Amino acid sequence: MIDLTISTIQETINSLRPGEKGIIGNFAVEKIPLKLQEMGCLPGNEVQLIQLAPFRDPLFLNINGNNLAIRRETADLIEITKVL
Amino acid sequence: MWSLQHILVYLAVAAAVAYLVKKYFLKPKSKKERTCGMDDCGCH
Amino acid sequence: MGKQLKVSLIGNPNTGKTSLFNLLTGLNQQVGNYPGITVEKKEGTCRLPGGGKAHILDLPGTYSLNASSADEQLVVESLLRKEQPDFPDLAVVVADVENLKRNLILFTQIKDLKIPAILVINMADQMERRGISLDVELLEKKLNTRVVLMSARKKTGIDELKKQIEDYQQLPVSPCLSVSELDATYFERLQKAFPEEDLYRLWLCVSQDVALKKIDESLLKANEYSERNTPEIKRLQQKETIARYLYINRFLNNAYQVDRTKATDWRSVLDRILTHRIGGYAIFFLIMLLMFQAIYNWSSIPMDFIDQSFAHLSEWTNNHLPEGPFTSLLAEGILPGIGGVVIFVPQIAFLFLFISLLEESGYMSRIVFLMDRLMRRFGLSGKSVVPLISGTACAIPAVMATRNIENWKERMITILVTPFITCSARLPVYLIIIALVIPDQTFVGFNLQGLTLMGLYVLGFGMAVLSAFVLDKIIKNKAHTTFVVEMPAYKVPMAKNVLYTVLEKTKSFVLVAGKIILAISIVLWFLASNGYSDDFYQAEEIVRAQPENTMLSEQEMQTAVASYQLQHSYIGIIGHAIEPVIRPLGYDWKIGIALVTSFAAREVFVGTLATIYSVGSEEEETIKERMSSDVNIRTGKKLFDFPTGISLLLFYAFALQCMSTLAIVKKETNSWKWPFIQLVLMSGFAYLVALGAYQVLT
Repeated sequence: MIDLTISTIQETINSLRPGEKGIIGNFAVEKIPLKLQEMGCLPGNEVQLIQLAPFRDPLFLNINGNNLAIRRETADLIEITKVL
Repeated sequence: MWSLQHILVYLAVAAAVAYLVKKYFLKPKSKKERTCGMDDCGCH
Repeated sequence: MGKQLKVSLIGNPNTGKTSLFNLLTGLNQQVGNYPGITVEKKEGTCRLPGGGKAHILDLPGTYSLNASSADEQLVVESLLRKEQPDFPDLAVVVADVENLKRNLILFTQIKDLKIPAILVINMADQMERRGISLDVELLEKKLNTRVVLMSARKKTGIDELKKQIEDYQQLPVSPCLSVSELDATYFERLQKAFPEEDLYRLWLCVSQDVALKKIDESLLKANEYSERNTPEIKRLQQKETIARYLYINRFLNNAYQVDRTKATDWRSVLDRILTHRIGGYAIFFLIMLLMFQAIYNWSSIPMDFIDQSFAHLSEWTNNHLPEGPFTSLLAEGILPGIGGVVIFVPQIAFLFLFISLLEESGYMSRIVFLMDRLMRRFGLSGKSVVPLISGTACAIPAVMATRNIENWKERMITILVTPFITCSARLPVYLIIIALVIPDQTFVGFNLQGLTLMGLYVLGFGMAVLSAFVLDKIIKNKAHTTFVVEMPAYKVPMAKNVLYTVLEKTKSFVLVAGKIILAISIVLWFLASNGYSDDFYQAEEIVRAQPENTMLSEQEMQTAVASYQLQHSYIGIIGHAIEPVIRPLGYDWKIGIALVTSFAAREVFVGTLATIYSVGSEEEETIKERMSSDVNIRTGKKLFDFPTGISLLLFYAFALQCMSTLAIVKKETNSWKWPFIQLVLMSGFAYLVALGAYQVLT
């Protein structure tokens, strides 16, 4: 069920809309805090956008069952494929 | 004139001064590698 | 019995670790003396079923043994230091049943350190509601440990845990993962460099973002093995994390199942409302408003009662004890001094009640989420909100609470601006002055005095934010770090946890602040009841001889003598020496003395005035009444009139008058530069604002 039609432009967590889900793809390991990875932000895991603060920043996510918030600058670095 | 009340007053004042001096002037000496939380970290 | 068994409680934040600690130790616990939230060392003892005792240490919450903040570093260090006294015989790892997978990462790391470990799965009472089923036996077998299902809330499983703690020697200490499998060549090289050491302990030292300090000496040299934060280490850490998840998933998929259809999720509905981009802010503001109204209104009844009682007590002492200097010291120095502290107990208790409710319920993290973007404009982080809110209790724990802000610059700015936040020590000063100069009337349904108090809190917060904005332009950033905040599930706060926090903090306020205030009031009384000049000793003759005083009644004459004597006491002489500096702000020498003693701790202000106003007076009158009837000799008007009151409020809002804050800032920033800048700028600014306000208002 992976949407391939818009995969020409690489999507990141930041392109999710509230309620939408995605599967985490690649990211530059050294730019993503280890803590985030320990909370389950690893390639292949599912991410869902729960809520956005004003200006889309920070983002309230559910990653692999964990509720957490990250800033837009971090969200921009994590590639995903949207799940419909 | 040195009644019991006078003696008590001077004792109290001396104790109070000693306490304040200890608290604010002798503190840095005893503060070495101690982790905060074991003492009061000088709060108040 | 020999030595006590040493147990460390370790776990992710928000797993109910503190509740478990409270349950194990009851009131047999000691916490560092500062008021505030769990930041530091909490210890206690627990009686075991077999008659023995265990020493329990509650370590700060951490997600893993890879420290990214000072708090987490403390946990790692305590586990890498076999030589130190609190190295645990046994680690009790507390996990939350809903986030078991993530919690197990930390558990496998502890196991790999070869420390005996028990896994406690807390909040087991939630399993049915959340549709979770768990195969404990399988989990025990796969993790090679004992698993205790418990609920700190329902108090189930605690006896089982105590029994397991007692039998800790039967626990296997086999590791879960062998790091050498991650990259054979790298770890072979590492082991070769330190052939004596355990490989996983070495790897923890090498891979930390910061150099560890308080660890075994043999490990210290491993700190310099390679450069920190290299892409190679980061990649290995990711590999390790993935390997741990794989290890856990292998059995957890069988042992742990969630039937999502059973889960009734009122919490996500709550989040949609509480973190809403408009509604969320409105609710936040409303909660704050409510909190300060409550602090002001609810505590006025017990406060009036305490005020009256101390006035009665002083009068009783004066009338019933033999006359003499010690009786005066009791009635005019010590009792009003203690009363000046006790009277603020109700407010401080309410303040800590609200702060601990915000923390316990999980709402504090939502505040972090809501405020992050806004705070970042001013060089702060959403996480700065927690120190800023705890700053309403005391700046010291607040400065310490900045330790979980990963970004150096954001942390530094937070530390520097936190003292602007209205702390509980300012509260006594505000309350008495508000009561004196602001009318007790309602304005659109709100009490005017309560609104003024709220305004002062807003002012302090505004000043903190404004100065953060300026500092943001000045301070240069050191390293780039990112922001990750867990949004824990909402919980109904546990009465026991809240109660313990309130009790502990209030007790430490009374004891710690109380001792200083008591000592200062004794010294002040002495200085106020003694002098060296003839003016002091012959006060009565001099006053009676003054022609304008002949018309006075006996009572008025007494007052005139007492006030003449006070003016020529040691304290009067010191006060008059300071007066020229503070006269432009509308203060007289009495307030001047109170300002000087305030540098020990702000709340001393009230105690000082209480003592000064009590010396030489024997009638039963509350301090407030005395202060309100005092007349400024120079202007002939009431001393505590509106302009002076406002000027004082502003001065206290901005000035840094707390030696302890300076000390803690020095400790946390590791230099005298920052506390010095803070002191000069804040106090200078306070003087100018108070001066401006007084001159405009008169």
